[in-house]
Amino acid sequence: MTDDNHSPPSWWGNFKLDNEQSRLWQIGPLTLIVRCLSGEWQIAHEQTDNIVDSKAIWEIKNTDQLPGTLDNNSRYVFRETTGLLNISPLLADRPIVSRPHTPFYLSAGEEVTVYVSSPLWLQLAVGSSPAKELQNIAIQRLSDTWFGPSTREGELCYATTTHCRINLDDIPQRPHRAITPVFICNQADTTLAVERLNVPAPLLPLYASTTGQLWTPKITLIREKDGDMAELKIDNKPPAESKHAARLGEPRETADSSVLFRAFNAVFS
Amino acid sequence: MHEFWADILSFLSSERMWSVTRAIILVIVGAAIAKLVSSTLTRVAGKKMDRHRTMLLKRGSYYLILALFLISALRELGFSLSVLLGAAGILSVAIGFASQTSASNLISGLFLVAERPFSVGDIIRVGATTGEVLSIDLLSVKLRTFDNLFVRIPNESLIKSEVTTLTRFPIRRLDVKVGVAYKEDLKKVRTVLDEIADRNPLCLEEPKPLYIFQGFGESSLDIQYSVWAKRENFLDLKNSIHQEIKSALDEHGIEIPFPHRTIYTGSATTPFPIQSAENRQAD
Repeated sequence: MTDDNHSPPSWWGNFKLDNEQSRLWQIGPLTLIVRCLSGEWQIAHEQTDNIVDSKAIWEIKNTDQLPGTLDNNSRYVFRETTGLLNISPLLADRPIVSRPHTPFYLSAGEEVTVYVSSPLWLQLAVGSSPAKELQNIAIQRLSDTWFGPSTREGELCYATTTHCRINLDDIPQRPHRAITPVFICNQADTTLAVERLNVPAPLLPLYASTTGQLWTPKITLIREKDGDMAELKIDNKPPAESKHAARLGEPRETADSSVLFRAFNAVFS
Repeated sequence: MHEFWADILSFLSSERMWSVTRAIILVIVGAAIAKLVSSTLTRVAGKKMDRHRTMLLKRGSYYLILALFLISALRELGFSLSVLLGAAGILSVAIGFASQTSASNLISGLFLVAERPFSVGDIIRVGATTGEVLSIDLLSVKLRTFDNLFVRIPNESLIKSEVTTLTRFPIRRLDVKVGVAYKEDLKKVRTVLDEIADRNPLCLEEPKPLYIFQGFGESSLDIQYSVWAKRENFLDLKNSIHQEIKSALDEHGIEIPFPHRTIYTGSATTPFPIQSAENRQAD
């Protein structure tokens, strides 16, 4: 539970709202207003079009602004409301295709760890035992993209651009994005051009570090010798860089095994 | 009266009565077995096959088993099978001539099932009709159009004509035709269009939008700008991108021209005399 006088340690967690109280969350480009009435929850949100992540801060405050002033608003009606609200971060419901600002090449036999960050969703639930899920809201509205060898085969993904930073210190700490370390190993005899990277977000759990930064486990991508297949491995522990982050959420989907073999062009492009 | 009852009693106790009873029992038992077998087959195969094939399997198995029992019943009644088949042959020729259209639809229906260009639930376009496929039957395909009308299309015309399945692939391309004035810089127009596609979240990033210069039109430079969208978002993208293109072109001062007519009197003639309307009133 959070006290109004002290700012909570993170934008997610359990919150208690009084009757007829409105609270506003500003997380990156998202503005969210939640209003608690007797027998009703009103939820409104709006994403700014400005895709630049300049709003790296987050803020929670009480507000007089009515939910109706935002673009998307909805009402949820209950017999009675307890004022308990739970907000939890989630990863995307589709894989995320990260396009490096500048494509890079990985020579034969080389390996590298790049850091890509992916935008988050938030899940709103009210009440207790069990909490009732109300809505999933994207903090940043992402563009759709198609990832596959042709327009007939492939899968729908979300598109995002990334710097594919190699140095951990260069990565800005942003509360509304989760960082994924991607270890790429090129075992084939030819140079690997990384123009797009497919991060299987629905298969990844979330970890939160003590500083409030969200992480996903490390992904290992190995381009095999024959060049046709890529091995995709997802660790089942928080990445070493996150310094013992605590597990925050389960993956949306469960993979059959922790090592997946995918067609080469289903991981790299 | 007494004789009538005697006749009935002798018929009831005769061998013929027994064969009629046996025939009736055969038909009833046959119908029950056919029903049981077809529903069991549907349950078993339903998980692996689509709705349409399951329906066909159910009907096929039911009628086949029922036909076998009917033939046995007829034999019980003393009909000779070879005579019956001969009669059926002649009858089928007669019926065939009389119901050419139905037969043709029936055969076309079988081809449609084998070819499977679409299945129940798909959205197809046949000629000027676009709608959701409700059922694929032996004689016709039933559609529900988007203005909620029920359309029956004979299978024969589906086999003969061009059918477009709109829901076969998960993504679709939208071709936007844009005309800009001759004075405009095409490089700038292209940059503006690319920015719009980049900003619209419904527009797929990959496959990349396609820019095609279509030619020098009568009063505009004609451009085709093709963007991709998820099938379900196609209409939303169509609405939003046209609106965005119009406002972005307005914002950048790029003119979307309408047909111009320049009236020229030729070099030999004198120019048109022009008089201002205000001056005329003053006269």
